[in-house]
Amino acid sequence: MDYLRVVWTVAGKDLLIEFRTRERVVAMGSFVVLVGVLFNYSIDTAIVRPQEIAPGMIWMTIILGGLLGVGRTFHLEEEDGAFSGVLQAPIPLDALYLGKMIANLVILGVVTVLTFVVFGLFFDLQFGSHPFVLGTVVVLGLVGFVGLLTLFSAMSARSTMGESLLPILVFPLLVPMVIFGVSATNRLLAGRPVSEVAGNVRMLGAFAILSVAAGAILFRHVVEE
Amino acid sequence: MSDPRPLAVRETDPSGSPTPTLEARGLVREFAGFPAVDGVDFRLDAGSLLAVFGPNGAGKTTLLRILAGILRPTRGQVLLDGNAVDVGDRQWRRRIGVVSHQGFLYGRLTVAENLEFYGRLFGLSDLAQRVPERLAAVALEDRARSEVRTLSRGMRQRLALARALLHDPEVVLLDEPYTGLDAQAASVLREVLSALKDGRRTVVLVTHNLRQGLELADRVAIQVGGRFRWIEDRECVEASTFEALYRDVVEERA
Amino acid sequence: MARNRLRHTGVALAVLGVLGTILVEWMVFFWVPTERTMGIAQRIFYVHVPSAWIAFLAFGIVALCSAVYLWLKDDRLDMAALAAAEGGIAFCTIMILTGPLWARVSWGTWWQWEPRLVLTLLMWFIYLGYFMVRRVTENPEQGKRFAAVVGLIGVLDIPLIHVSVLWTRSLHPQPVVVKPEGPTLDPEMLITLMAGLAAALVLFTGLFLIRYTVECLHREVAQRRLGV
Repeated sequence: MDYLRVVWTVAGKDLLIEFRTRERVVAMGSFVVLVGVLFNYSIDTAIVRPQEIAPGMIWMTIILGGLLGVGRTFHLEEEDGAFSGVLQAPIPLDALYLGKMIANLVILGVVTVLTFVVFGLFFDLQFGSHPFVLGTVVVLGLVGFVGLLTLFSAMSARSTMGESLLPILVFPLLVPMVIFGVSATNRLLAGRPVSEVAGNVRMLGAFAILSVAAGAILFRHVVEE
Repeated sequence: MSDPRPLAVRETDPSGSPTPTLEARGLVREFAGFPAVDGVDFRLDAGSLLAVFGPNGAGKTTLLRILAGILRPTRGQVLLDGNAVDVGDRQWRRRIGVVSHQGFLYGRLTVAENLEFYGRLFGLSDLAQRVPERLAAVALEDRARSEVRTLSRGMRQRLALARALLHDPEVVLLDEPYTGLDAQAASVLREVLSALKDGRRTVVLVTHNLRQGLELADRVAIQVGGRFRWIEDRECVEASTFEALYRDVVEERA
Repeated sequence: MARNRLRHTGVALAVLGVLGTILVEWMVFFWVPTERTMGIAQRIFYVHVPSAWIAFLAFGIVALCSAVYLWLKDDRLDMAALAAAEGGIAFCTIMILTGPLWARVSWGTWWQWEPRLVLTLLMWFIYLGYFMVRRVTENPEQGKRFAAVVGLIGVLDIPLIHVSVLWTRSLHPQPVVVKPEGPTLDPEMLITLMAGLAAALVLFTGLFLIRYTVECLHREVAQRRLGV
C-alpha cells in the first residue's frame, strides 16, 4: 500500500495548496462563466437554438478552461525547485503522476460541475433524464483529458514556450473525447434512451484508460534527467 | 595529451582506511559528448565531511547530482561500505539527504506541513513526534505553523536541512548551502552543520565559502574541469595559506 | 565509410524516386484512363493516396524508433525517428494540399470533413508537436525524450481518432483498394497507383537516408565544437 500512500500524499498536497490559494479554481471558474456570456452573444438566437449547441459549448469550455488551469499544475512545483526535491524521494514516478492527475481531476471536476450549472442556467437546459449516465460520460471524458494534460504539462513546464505548447500537443488527441462526449451529451439532454449512448461510453472509457496508461508509463521519461 | 603539474598537486587519493564508507571510482558524466564530470575518485570514512571547492563550471553540482541519484553517471561507480550502489535506485535515495541552494519547499504549505509531506513520501510513521523534534533541532519550532513563503532565506535553509535529515540518511549532500545567507544566518547554519558531524553521517559539502568549508572539513578537495585536481586530509592543510593554494590550483588549469 | 555509403545510397534512391515520380506523372496524364464517375480531377488520386500511405508509414517508423529509443537510449534511433518524421510531414503536407484541391473540383467546396483528411490534418499537427518539443527545450537530451513521448502517444491515439472520425458521417470516396473483396480498380489504374506508391516509397527512403546521414554529421560537429 506504499504506492497508494504516495498517490494520496501527492494528490493531497496539491489539493491542500489549491484549497489555500484558490487560484486555479477562481481563474477557471471565472473563465467558464464569462465564456458562457460571450457564447451567448456569439450566436444568433433567432437562427440557432442554444439548447442544440449547448453540449458542444460546454465541452469546449471545459477543454479551454482545463488548459488554463491544469496546464499550470507543474508551475507550483517549479517555484522553489520543489519538484526536484520530490524527484529525489524514493517514490515510483507513475505514482507521482497519478497523484497529480487525481488532484487535477478533482479541481477540473469542480469547474466542470460549475460549467454545467452555469450553462444550464444561461441556456435553460434540462439535465433530468439520466443524470448518472451523464455523470459517467463526463467523468470518463475528464479522466482522458486530464490524463493527457498532466503528462504534457510536465513537458510544457520545462519548455521555453510554456502553456502555449499545450494546444498543439493535446488538441489533436482530444478529438475522440469531443466527438463521443458531445454526441452522448446531446442525446442525453434530448432525452434519448441510455442504450443509444452505450457505444459512446465505451469509447470514452477506452480513451480514458489509454490516456492514463500512456501517461503513467511515459511520465518518467518526461521528468527524468 | 599530458599537462604539466607541480609535484604538490595530487590527483590520487591517499586515504588510509581499508573499507571507507563512501567511495567514488572513476565517475564520468557526459552531456552530448562533453564531460561535465571527467573522472572523479575519492574515499570518505564514516562520519567525515568532504568539502569540495572549485570555480563555476567545474562540475561540482553535476557530481552532487550523480551522488544524489538524479543523474546517471556515464561511467564509474559509487560504493557505500564497499558495496556498489545503483545511484538511480530508489533504495539509494532512502539513504541520502540533499540540501541545495534551492529550497525544495512549497511556499504555500506551512513549515510542519512541508516536513510531513516529505515524511509521508518516505514512508515514515512516527511523524507526530519526529517533526517537532527535527524542527527544534534547527530552532524553527516556533514557526511550525507559518507558511514557508513568510520565512527568511536563512530560515528556509534550516528547514531544508531539517527536511534532508528527516529520514536519518547515512549520507548528506549539500550544494552551496551558504548561498544568499547573511552573516548571522550563515553562522546559525554553521552550528547546525557542525551538529551533523556526529560520527555517523558522511557528508559531502560543495561550497564557495573557503573559510566555512575548511572549518567543517575532514577532507578537502578542489574540483576543476570535472576532476579533483587536489584532494587531501584537513590536517595537511594550512588554513592561512589555503586561499593562495586554491587560486594556484584553479589557475593552473586555465 | 559506412556513412558515406549510406548517403550515396540515399542520393541514388532519391534521384530514382524523382525519376519514378516523373514517370508516374506521365502515366497519370497520358496513359491511365479517366475514371467514370469523378472525371479528370480523380487523377490526383495517384498522388494523394501514395502520399497518405507514406505519411502513415513514416509515422509508424517514428513511433517504433521512439519506443526503442526510450528503452535503449541509442542516439541513432532518435536520428532515424527525426529523419522519418521530416519525410513524413512532407508527404503529409502533400496529402493535405491535394485533398482540398480534389474536393474543390469534385464536390465544389474546398474543405469537407472527410475522416481521412481530418485524420491527416491532425497527424500533421502531431508531427508539428514532435518537432516543436525538440526546439523549445533547453536541454537537447530532454528534447529528444519529449519528442519520443509525443511520437508514441501520437501513434496510440491515431487509431482512436480514426475510429471516432469515421463514426461521424463521411463524404469521402469509399476505399477502392484496401477492401476485403480486393481492389476494384481497372488494371491500368491499379498499376499506376502501385507505381505511384513505389516511386513515393523510393523517394521517401532516399530522403530518409540523406537526412539521417546529415543529422549524424550535424551532431558530430556540435559535439566537436563543445569539446573545443
